Amino acid sequence: MAEPEKPLDHHNSPRNVGSLDREDPQVGTGTVGARECGDVMRLQLKVNEETGIIEDVKFKSFGCGSAIASSSVASEWIKGKTLDEAMALDKTEILNELSLPPAKIHCTLLTEEAIRAAVQDYKAKRAGRRASSPTKR
Amino acid sequence: MAAAPPFPSEPPACWHCGQPTAESHFCPSCRRLQPPGGDYFSYLGLPQKLGIDLPEMEQRFHSLSRRLHPDVFFQRVETERQLSVEAAAFLNDAYRTLKNPLTRAEYLLALHGIRKNDPRISGAPLELLEEVFELKTTLDQIRDGDETAQPQLVQAREKIQKLLAEADRALDEGFANWDATGQRQTLERIAAVLTRRAFLRKLLEDSGVEPR
Repeated sequence: MAEPEKPLDHHNSPRNVGSLDREDPQVGTGTVGARECGDVMRLQLKVNEETGIIEDVKFKSFGCGSAIASSSVASEWIKGKTLDEAMALDKTEILNELSLPPAKIHCTLLTEEAIRAAVQDYKAKRAGRRASSPTKR
Repeated sequence: MAAAPPFPSEPPACWHCGQPTAESHFCPSCRRLQPPGGDYFSYLGLPQKLGIDLPEMEQRFHSLSRRLHPDVFFQRVETERQLSVEAAAFLNDAYRTLKNPLTRAEYLLALHGIRKNDPRISGAPLELLEEVFELKTTLDQIRDGDETAQPQLVQAREKIQKLLAEADRALDEGFANWDATGQRQTLERIAAVLTRRAFLRKLLEDSGVEPR
């Protein structure tokens, strides 16, 4: 019986920290930032072209522990999901999972935006390849 | 940093005598203190310009402070005493916001409906975010290294300070442009520079140097 994820776990031992090869056609990269705290986050996903399923997720975030914890939680969730399911991930789900203090709620928004940016990047790359034109970075 | 609700479209009337107040601090007819409202600039009797004559603002602030101080109203009715507390607080907020050029600019942007969305997640350009990301990655790598990496750290900090100085210059230009032309697109440019500056400033803090 799996123990419920504790917030401390995702803060101290975040999952999926790292990076993927952004040149890889199966990888979508999203880079987002939060102006007030100056945090930037990059999230990457590797998508199986045939099934459209997210096979791997890596992220790198600087500074805020809550942003790292949010992305740790979310990256675990979207593995094995479709792109549409990942896009549908709502920050309130992350919020409920982690019980963040009010001042850190915007960190979940950062994660949500990073996932959407990565999905959009992947789709754009794919569309670019299908049209046989060089992908615009 | 929200402004008090703007005055309604009908001319505001005094709560005590019903005469039009023409948005004055005190009713022209019966001299009673009015609830604070409108924007910070007009409350301090200043135009909506980003270049402010600071000594003039100080003088207006102190003069109004003396007239609005709650002690002045200790013999008045409860309504007016309460209003003096609100008015003094509003005046202090106005002064604090307009005194600092950065908060002044942010406030003006808000007045013009720019950056109404959550200010914490910015519409920062991708190039800026990528640049900041690379700089942070570099800083991390340098910090994890040993003393031999020190010159690289100094170099990285110098680069960030240079970018910050450029942003400050762009901000000065933007301020002057707004004051001269009043064009909305100038405000949008200022908004972009403020975003850039916020990221750079944070970057500098993270790299262990006191930002200017």
